[in-house]
Amino acid sequence: MSRRTAFGALIVVAMLAMIAAALPASAAVSSGAAPGGTLRIWTDKDRRADIDRIAKAWGARRGVTVEVVEKGFGDIRDQLKTVQPATAPDVIIGAHDWTGQLAADGLVLPLSPSAATRKQFPKYALDAFSYGSTVKRLYGAPVALENVGLVVNTRLAAVPKTWAALERAALAFKNRNPDNLAIAVPQAPAGDAYHMYPFFSGLGGFVFGKNRAGNLNPRNIGVANTTFLKNASMIDRWDRLGLINSKVNYDTAKNAFLKGQAAFWITGPWEADTLKQSGLRFRIVQLPKIKFRSVPFLGVQGFMVTRYANTHGVGTLAKDLVASYIMTASSQRALAAANGRFPANLTAGKQVRDTVLAQFGRAGQGGVPMPNIPQMSSVWEELGGAWLKSTNGTATNARPTFQTAARNIRTKIG
Amino acid sequence: MSTTAVRAEAPARDTLAQTALSLPSRAVAVFSGPLGLALKILLLALVNGIAVWAAIVLADAGKWPAFAVLAVTTLALDAAYLVRRALPLKFLLPGTLLMLAFQVIPIFYTVNVAFTNYSTGHILAKNEAVEGIQLNSLAPLENAKSYLMAPARDADGNLVLLLVDEATGDTFVGTREALTPIERDKVQVDELGVAGAEGYTLVTGPGLVAIDRELTAYTVPTDGAAAIRPEGLGVASELAPTLRYDAARDRFVRISDGVVFTDNDRGSFAAASGEELEPGWKTSIGFSNFSRIAKSPLVRDPFLRVFVWTFAFAFLAVLLSFVLGLLLAIALDKPGMRLQRSYRTLLVLPYAIPGFLSLLVWQGLLNDDFGVVNRVTGLDVPWLFDSNWAKVSVILVSVWLTFPYFFLISLGALQSIPAELTEAARVDGGGPWQVFRRVTLPLLLIVVAPLMIASFAFNFNNFGNIYFLTGGGPASSDQTTAGDTDILISYTYKLAFASGKGQDYGLASGVALIIFFIVATISSLAFWRTNALENIR
Repeated sequence: MSRRTAFGALIVVAMLAMIAAALPASAAVSSGAAPGGTLRIWTDKDRRADIDRIAKAWGARRGVTVEVVEKGFGDIRDQLKTVQPATAPDVIIGAHDWTGQLAADGLVLPLSPSAATRKQFPKYALDAFSYGSTVKRLYGAPVALENVGLVVNTRLAAVPKTWAALERAALAFKNRNPDNLAIAVPQAPAGDAYHMYPFFSGLGGFVFGKNRAGNLNPRNIGVANTTFLKNASMIDRWDRLGLINSKVNYDTAKNAFLKGQAAFWITGPWEADTLKQSGLRFRIVQLPKIKFRSVPFLGVQGFMVTRYANTHGVGTLAKDLVASYIMTASSQRALAAANGRFPANLTAGKQVRDTVLAQFGRAGQGGVPMPNIPQMSSVWEELGGAWLKSTNGTATNARPTFQTAARNIRTKIG
Repeated sequence: MSTTAVRAEAPARDTLAQTALSLPSRAVAVFSGPLGLALKILLLALVNGIAVWAAIVLADAGKWPAFAVLAVTTLALDAAYLVRRALPLKFLLPGTLLMLAFQVIPIFYTVNVAFTNYSTGHILAKNEAVEGIQLNSLAPLENAKSYLMAPARDADGNLVLLLVDEATGDTFVGTREALTPIERDKVQVDELGVAGAEGYTLVTGPGLVAIDRELTAYTVPTDGAAAIRPEGLGVASELAPTLRYDAARDRFVRISDGVVFTDNDRGSFAAASGEELEPGWKTSIGFSNFSRIAKSPLVRDPFLRVFVWTFAFAFLAVLLSFVLGLLLAIALDKPGMRLQRSYRTLLVLPYAIPGFLSLLVWQGLLNDDFGVVNRVTGLDVPWLFDSNWAKVSVILVSVWLTFPYFFLISLGALQSIPAELTEAARVDGGGPWQVFRRVTLPLLLIVVAPLMIASFAFNFNNFGNIYFLTGGGPASSDQTTAGDTDILISYTYKLAFASGKGQDYGLASGVALIIFFIVATISSLAFWRTNALENIR
């Protein structure tokens, strides 16, 4: 045998061996491409273990294999838009303000839970997940609620009953020491319309008005409505006195409160553990009424069924999991507790013994769900920027700043 | 003194170079023997094995274009390594393939997207969108009923729905034809829902997976177009369509008022009033994105200001980084300096820390009320909150991030300039400045100028520096939506992902293409100019 033939034979043999090795692997993959009887869930890290437990208990009853995939919370929304159908999820966890975008994309399916199930949820939590310009439908099962509140260090200041009392106490505390903050609320560097919303609503501001059908109307922008503009001079006064300082960023605000350099802090339940471990004595209340009730933005997290559930042939199964099983009180309790939030289910809410969560829950009463229409993405930066600019210590008038913001939002929505 | 030091160093460099050079040749010697052949066969077989595996997967998924690309590439690779005459291809082919994969395909993709309406609400294909509109527009009737439900099979094995009216407790059997009442005591209900019925067998466990598609499409007609549909496995609702799809004429008609929604060629069904149905679909829209860019006040108003600032930012960041890097390189090039290595290491540090980390740290340091910079220096400079200072900060931080790069390059380039040249210039009576200006700098620029152009192109699109440091802010005094430190690419981001209805990939790709042409023009002009430098040789 010549050297050449030997060489050729060697190659042929080696390649055949490799191909033989590859065959079973590709067989495995091709069966994975069509997930017959597998329900795939995308979840964030916090809730992974509980979702795993709850969904697998459900899966055992329904004869379905459940595959739980962990993703970064924000990635869930973005990746759903680009995912290949073969690897797409059937169920995702998400925030209610994604609803508009995902429904407009056609990526999530409408749900119809039973009347008995609906009754177990506050109306606003279901509203938060409802969207539709022609027909309003529910696109998600609410699981957990969150909102900011005014955290008061009760050793440094009394819990204020009125806005005037808060102003007085905060300014008195600030003037005690140049390092002190009056009200620690994060805004720097890019503005934070979410944390500032209680001040905004307290002065009569709103983001989108509703049309007759009760849907948010992107043409009715309340960022510079006449009532708010009338009250906007109060912002200039706060700025002059240093009640709110837009150069404070998240860490500055947090550290100031934890170090006793601020008696008042605007934050939400994601800091519940920090607060409990701080050793401080504190109470969480709603920001006192300014001109109107100073209600926060409400955030609702929940589960949605994607359009891929139907293409994968698990559509009714996914709806059964999301719109029935996950909406029960016992599932809700476990899922909300998993990331330290108040459960959306009313029965489960009554069983919450955690005083911090309960106080945050009360601070959210009457709150406004963050608008879930896709046009909201035109608002965040402008509204946050208006607050940033009008509370940065320079003599900028709030009135024209918010008017500019409203005009820019209108241009951006187009 | 200095000359001896240089001479003493020279042999050491040579040996190092020799070792470095001999390494590959020694490696070649090892790998051209039988071991090399075995390795080659093994690796090639591995590539082919993976290709076969991938081919089966692709064929299975019906991705035939990808399958063809894979087949051609694999055959080309095999040919390059097995045919003796194709030897040069060994080196060319992998490089070309990688360039295709990571440069050419993304560019084609971007160009392709720039001519579509790919954005929020326009993600699906048209048939999927039609399906979506039909699902989304189903609405509960005025006093619609909701039912507890269980899928079951009748005596003949047909799929039926056992239904219990949630409000009244009335019991029914639903089929594809009609809703038939049955006696209440025939149906058992427990706390989990419908538990069974006389004469019917419930579908449970794995059986549910098998009927899922059938159940998803199952409707029990009730009144006119209204029908009871399973919503999961334990609940059913009575829903009626609010829109009727006319497949023949490809349009939707709203049942309540007869408004017609037709395909508007921009990926939506729209009424004459402009009202659009959601979802829309992804489609080609020609030059619409570009005409939008030209017409939109969002782009038109701030464009000139943003463009000038982008140019100034990129130019100053590169120039100052180069000057600083060069000065430090000259200072540290002095032979026989003590602690030279430590200084060099320290100077390279900013380069070694991940950029976004340093940017976030700088953002904290520069905060004018709480930042370290103002506190330590006792200054009261509004680093990030004043338009002009924010621009200064952005440039300073960019310089801090980039000067080590130019320092390293200049250091290397300086050492490559033959000492004889500078010595000769000195002997001819040149002062240190003249020597630097007439000999060192021109020689240095031959090496560094192309890198400066590359760095300029990079900074022109330096999204990270702006986004992480100022987010484009502070808000501009000319009341447009672009911030004062926004460069073209960061403003594109705002346009495409923080305005309108969320993501607008089509528009973003359009702007990206325009920026590409701007950068390409500037760079090629600059390269053309620097070719003149080569003549110095």
